[in-house]
Amino acid sequence: MTYQIYHKSTFYYQQLVTFSHNLARLKPRETPFQKLASWRLEVAPEAAMRECFDDYFGNAITHLLVREAHTALEVTAHSQVTIDSSALQAYYDTARAHPLSVAEALTRLGVNDPALIDIKQYLFPSVMVPGAGEAIRLFALESFISQRPLFEAAMELMERIFEEFTFESGFSDISTPVEEVFEARKGVCQDFAHLAIAALRALGFAARYVSGYIETTPPEGEEKLFGADASHAWFSLYIPDVGWVDFDPTNNLLPLEKHIVLGWGRDYADVAPLQGVVRSSGESSVGVMVDVRSLE
Amino acid sequence: MASLFEGYEALSRYDEMFDAAHQVRSHWQGVHRLLDSLGSEALRARQSDIDWRLEENGVTYNVYNDPEGLNRPWRLDPIPFIIDADEWRGIEAGLKQRALLLDLLLKDLYGAQRVLKEGVVPPEVIFGHSGFIRSAFGHIDSSVAALRIYAADMARGPDGKMWIINDRTQAPSGLGYAIENRLAMNGAMAELLGEVHIHRISGFLNAFGTMLRDLAPSRSDNPLHVLLSPGPYNETYFEHAYLSSFLGLTLVQGQDLLGKDGKIYLRSLGGLRRVDTMLRRVDDSFCDPLELRSDSRLGVAGLMHAVRERSIAMANPIGSGLLENAGLNPFMGATAKFFLGEELLLPQIATWWCGQRKERDFVLENLSTLIIKRIDRGEGKHTFIGAQLSQAERLQLRAMILEHPYRYTGQEQVTFSTTPALGEGGIVPRKAIIRSFGVRAEEGYAIMPGGLVRVGSQTDSLIVSGQSGGGSKDLWIAGTSESTQEHYIPPIVSTADHLEHIPSLRAENLFWLGRYLTRSIITARMIRTALKLSANLYRSEQRFSENAQSAINRALTHLTMTYPGFLDPLTQRQSLGEIRSVATDARRLGSLAHTLTMLSNANAGVKNLLTLEGWRIFDRLERDFGLFSRAKNSSSRSLANGLEQLVTQLMAYRQLIEESLFEGLLLYRIGERIERGLLVVSKARALLCSALESQVQNEVLENMLLSCESLNAYRAHYKTVLRLENVIELMLLDIRFPKSLIYELSELQALLQRLPKSRDARYLSRYEESVFAAFSKLRLYHGTKTLEAVGDVRMEFDALLGEIGALLAACSNELGKTYFAHYDE
Repeated sequence: MTYQIYHKSTFYYQQLVTFSHNLARLKPRETPFQKLASWRLEVAPEAAMRECFDDYFGNAITHLLVREAHTALEVTAHSQVTIDSSALQAYYDTARAHPLSVAEALTRLGVNDPALIDIKQYLFPSVMVPGAGEAIRLFALESFISQRPLFEAAMELMERIFEEFTFESGFSDISTPVEEVFEARKGVCQDFAHLAIAALRALGFAARYVSGYIETTPPEGEEKLFGADASHAWFSLYIPDVGWVDFDPTNNLLPLEKHIVLGWGRDYADVAPLQGVVRSSGESSVGVMVDVRSLE
Repeated sequence: MASLFEGYEALSRYDEMFDAAHQVRSHWQGVHRLLDSLGSEALRARQSDIDWRLEENGVTYNVYNDPEGLNRPWRLDPIPFIIDADEWRGIEAGLKQRALLLDLLLKDLYGAQRVLKEGVVPPEVIFGHSGFIRSAFGHIDSSVAALRIYAADMARGPDGKMWIINDRTQAPSGLGYAIENRLAMNGAMAELLGEVHIHRISGFLNAFGTMLRDLAPSRSDNPLHVLLSPGPYNETYFEHAYLSSFLGLTLVQGQDLLGKDGKIYLRSLGGLRRVDTMLRRVDDSFCDPLELRSDSRLGVAGLMHAVRERSIAMANPIGSGLLENAGLNPFMGATAKFFLGEELLLPQIATWWCGQRKERDFVLENLSTLIIKRIDRGEGKHTFIGAQLSQAERLQLRAMILEHPYRYTGQEQVTFSTTPALGEGGIVPRKAIIRSFGVRAEEGYAIMPGGLVRVGSQTDSLIVSGQSGGGSKDLWIAGTSESTQEHYIPPIVSTADHLEHIPSLRAENLFWLGRYLTRSIITARMIRTALKLSANLYRSEQRFSENAQSAINRALTHLTMTYPGFLDPLTQRQSLGEIRSVATDARRLGSLAHTLTMLSNANAGVKNLLTLEGWRIFDRLERDFGLFSRAKNSSSRSLANGLEQLVTQLMAYRQLIEESLFEGLLLYRIGERIERGLLVVSKARALLCSALESQVQNEVLENMLLSCESLNAYRAHYKTVLRLENVIELMLLDIRFPKSLIYELSELQALLQRLPKSRDARYLSRYEESVFAAFSKLRLYHGTKTLEAVGDVRMEFDALLGEIGALLAACSNELGKTYFAHYDE
């Protein structure tokens, strides 16, 4: 499967900005199942300096220094990504067939195993997922019965979030604590990903946040409008012997050929698509436009 | 005569001066004898000499949210803390070993992570610590020493040995205070130094300077070294200012710096200057709002980029806060074996890390006797003294530990040694903690043969820290004959005094100091004028006075820009209330109280340039103004008196500024002239541009001149009744009169010419252009026909004044762009 992705993030400022530092995290990662065929980043006004580097989590970051006077900064990524869906399907089959139980997995994670050092990053609270209350832990515990295979338990957690929570935009923003989302039983994809991560970490599992896109299809017989997509997010759980396995609680789906990975980290704060520092007293706001198109 | 030490009883198992048999330990004998012969009164006199010296030198530390205000005086006990040189050799070796070890550990944790991979240190101790800065990973150069400065807190345990309590690796404070303590002791307690040979600290200070100079890449012959401070509100700001001048560093804050293309620049009046090295007093996570904490206002965006490019050298590198980690303690022994093949030389406090099952259970079982510490300082409380917790608090702590066990350690509660200190009622035993300093030298670490000793405020005080009161002592290493004279090589003379090198933030503060001080004085006078007028309302014929009063009131609104204010006709009826609000309501932009707040910020930003007397006057002025502005239902008279007093104090403060500023005075003067010009324009537009009945006009003119302190000058000059044309001539056009607008503009031009980009320039700079235009317009203005009123307003005249005001404001903006922001360079 090959996708053409258009992702434009815009900062709007109340005042004229003449100097701004920005970090763009808009370059899709390569994974064993995903290849990046082409990528370019447009910046308007053009950046005086671009620095490309990989962060601690291996995401590609473009650091932009903009020095032209502007009241809006547009950063647009054009990516072409190919997904090997059969390899991905095989990976999920392995994960599904892996009998490792919840209890066994916890024992494995508790051992000081050099192979797990990088995994252990994701065991701890992070800025946007500082912990989970007892209610969230108990919610997750219902699915994570000791002798059950870990994969099956995670599937059920995904399903339950999908069933019991309502997708509702406008209720939360990126700073809404997971406890509040849990109470209200509603939110958007970031909230569901953060909630699952909080729950998994509270039980002692390594969980990370994946940012990316999902291809949407218009209702039968209608033309797909340009820019009708959005960025998307889901969670990933580390299953010993298998590796990281992704789950999409917003759609109750295992991310297969419709999901494109942009990057991952401990939570949203590690992978925010665009962030910047300007010296200005005014407020700023953000606009996003995403289009995902299948080329086959 | 009774001995000074009579009744002195060691309260702990080990006392520094007396052994178990109450005999004076040998290395204390000289000092003990001398103190005893001095007697208590003389000792108190010495204490007051020390206090006086420290106060005169402005040695202070700030306590957050202290009702007594910022700038608490620093306290130094006249009795030193003495360690025998033989014992010190062992301690010194132990500190060197620990610094070396922490350096290796730092580089490993941000690079190969062998200690994690080989199971020496559990990953939770690192990944669960908020000081692990992921952006720094892979960017701490492992080929050279990373930990350039090290500090350790030590105290003597009941076994008589010095124990390590804490490691300070990020931006250790205290060195400046330690130096100042030594200098104060040299002065006040000179005869003690005849009794005991002590190690000098100058060698260490030279090593510190060498370390900083060697840090700079060989890029430049004239490298720029800065000390990055969080600013004047930080608790140890005194020390930042002190060390920067002692070591010849430029004292900067984040706002002084600019990150660009992987390099860091200092914005200074002469332009951008590349920064080579940074002595950092801002915590790791606050250093770069782009890549670290986005809410930080203390750092500079682009610093991590410079770190990746290795274009700046830092002491200590970002990420070093990870080593301030109680969770590492239990693994330090293994780490020493791993890296050095050695045993730890110095004992540490017994520590149990709760990330391990057995240790956690032990800690939970002994919660009431242990001290519980978070591995990082995080946010909120991080140290809990088990014995002092209530049952409920203990249960809560237990739940916190169980939720994130790896975040907590339990430490044995140790009774440290006591040492004699001068207290209220004589010599008393106090617990003490020593902060020692190490600096990376060519071969390993150099350890300061001295240090900062902090003593508890009460005999049973467990926590010894600057924030909780208590005092300090000088640390003496005694007992060898090798002591030499202090010989400190002064640093390369700092160039920060040259106009070009004044950091932009300070320049900006100087400029605004001039503007706000002028605005405060003129506003206070204008309020007083309005107040008097409203009190004397019924003196003459009511109708005229009322009109004159409302004209003055409206002028006050324009002057302070506290709209709608008196422009709203309803407000005129509550004249006194509105005047009071414009004077005292700090929440109102433009009010006198608000202007004073802004002045206070500018004052804080240039504080290290002013004299102690200047600080005191400003503190008193703020306190007095606060008192009278908070007084409820005060009479107009007391308000007027308060304003009178404020103006007097502001004038005294102004006098001191003008005497103590050197190169920076230029910026201050420019701000002063611009503000005066703007305010004369504002008054003239409000008071001279409306057509009024002659009697009202007369009163308005009189008040205009009064508020400009120019009535006598008018009378001396014109010897006639008040006429509009004359007042305009005097206040705006007469270039010989020092209070006229044209005079201000002419002086302003001369001042602007002295700025770095105007000196020797062929053409006018942008900021000069606008003043030149304003000057020309006003100078070319003559003829009274423009004074004709259209309806009630002299339109043409008002438009001219409006243009001049706009040009002055443009000059201020252009100055900011050229000298303070530097984004265009």
